[in-house]
Amino acid sequence: MAFDSYKYLLFLPVVLSIFYCMPDRFRWLLLLLASLCFYAFLQVPYLLLTLCAVIMITYGCGILIENTKAQKIRRLLFWIGVLSNILILGYLKYLSFLIFNLNDLFSLLSLNTSLTQSPDLIFVGVSFYVFQAISYLSDVYLEVAMAERHFGYFALYMSFFPKLLLGPIERCADLIHQFRKKYEFKYDNMRTGLLMCAWGLFKKLVIADQLGVYVDSVYGDVHSYAGLPLIFATYFYAIQIYADFSGYIDIARGSAKMFNIHLTENFKSPYLATSIADFWRRWHITLYRWLLDYVFKPLQMKFRTMKNWGTVCALLITLLLSGIWHGAARNFILWGMLFGAYLSCSVFYRQFQRKMYATLSLENTRTQRLFQIFVTFHLICFAWIFFRSPSCENIFYVITHLHTGIMQFLGSAIANITVFHNLKQLMLPITLNSPKIFLGYLICIGIIMFEQIVREKRGNFFLWLLAKPKSFRWSIYVVLLVSIINLGKTSDIPFVYFDF
Amino acid sequence: MDIRDRLNNVFQEVFKDDNIQINPETTADDVDGWDSFSHVILIVAVETRFNIKFTQKELLTLKNVGDLIKRIEQKSPNV
Repeated sequence: MAFDSYKYLLFLPVVLSIFYCMPDRFRWLLLLLASLCFYAFLQVPYLLLTLCAVIMITYGCGILIENTKAQKIRRLLFWIGVLSNILILGYLKYLSFLIFNLNDLFSLLSLNTSLTQSPDLIFVGVSFYVFQAISYLSDVYLEVAMAERHFGYFALYMSFFPKLLLGPIERCADLIHQFRKKYEFKYDNMRTGLLMCAWGLFKKLVIADQLGVYVDSVYGDVHSYAGLPLIFATYFYAIQIYADFSGYIDIARGSAKMFNIHLTENFKSPYLATSIADFWRRWHITLYRWLLDYVFKPLQMKFRTMKNWGTVCALLITLLLSGIWHGAARNFILWGMLFGAYLSCSVFYRQFQRKMYATLSLENTRTQRLFQIFVTFHLICFAWIFFRSPSCENIFYVITHLHTGIMQFLGSAIANITVFHNLKQLMLPITLNSPKIFLGYLICIGIIMFEQIVREKRGNFFLWLLAKPKSFRWSIYVVLLVSIINLGKTSDIPFVYFDF
Repeated sequence: MDIRDRLNNVFQEVFKDDNIQINPETTADDVDGWDSFSHVILIVAVETRFNIKFTQKELLTLKNVGDLIKRIEQKSPNV
């Protein structure tokens, strides 16, 4: 069931109402049953079986690891649990891609053999809860967390419906204890939760899906475009994917908040990052914290005698894994490797960068910060080309045609004040030949940047809004509701991250 | 010189700051420049200076300087 569907608009209040009326000791059971029903609504029976298998394997291994004193057996149990989870994820998500590439390789080597292509399977949510399971086993093995003995609470930790499909990827120490707390109705949590859900829906249905019309038209047929349409499509995609994914997370966190459950923040104004490393501390935070703690740091320590080159190897492997996690496709692998290259270069140039800013007397100035944000944003947008393009050939085409026609356009813009007439000729006819639509897109981008700036300066966008005068707040509520009803695309357009 | 003083010297050399004074509660948030890159340099310097080798598990479960001092004491009891 998608968060932007009518079913969810009925599901959530029904579950909340029953939750409120239930005796405290059975509330975890209601949430667990609701979560399983939520997953069952996808009407893919093997997904429910997959979730149950992951829960049982991880629960069992966690307890066995904790009960075992012998270090070698603990390590063995840890790897059995982790590899079982990886095999489940690998089978559902990567088998088809692996067979396709092996067949390509056989063909390249002129080998007269090929493997039967397996069908593409649906794996919504699996990437997220398998990673959560691995983080649980790692924390139990490293003795930074206790194994959860209550099967019901553990199952709920894995399957809690607000975070089941697209995260956040929660640590057991952050989430499980919340299910044990006695529930008391809190008006502020209910109010904030509702606002977060509404805001998330607005970002997804109004901003992301509207921008997606233009982006899909261009990236769906890139060879018909060159220059400005490609540039605009890339910028719009940067905003679309943020609005889409952060919108989902807002709905997830808002829904959880109504049950007095706090889920980890997953975005902190990512497009105000001052470096690529800073971007990864702000974008899909729970995934990158997972990669940092369970992949990068162990690798970096393992390669520590190689000094900077050890860190570079650790970064390349970690970001490659990040690309693979996002999808069984070559463009995602290239995207991950591009970020690995960005971060690896920064290992070597950061000391020179500090000296450069000090020499120019720009250290810790607003100018330095703005420059860093500008450069970082464009490095990220360049990487989004890899992420959005459906094939490597399309990636190459977009990169080599971004500049086409730009000089002529700028020349005629300087010579001729009717620049918008030129803009029209360079734009996709069905959307951007209208000043109103173009203005609409700029407003969408402005709203997203405003949200990020408020988050950066005030710490919490929703608390900032809720502290405003009643008239201002209710104006915003009405605008949100009217926008969603009138401008929101239908729920036929899935969330982008459902593909991961 | 005890372990804490010797460790303090290592911190001062790695972070190029003679004013650093560590205590058992010190974490990365308390030392300017202590990030994941400099953390590796610090660990290598500690292993070299104390002639010890940490296991992966020990390195991944260090929470603060106090934990680091305890591990050094366990691994080099004659210091």
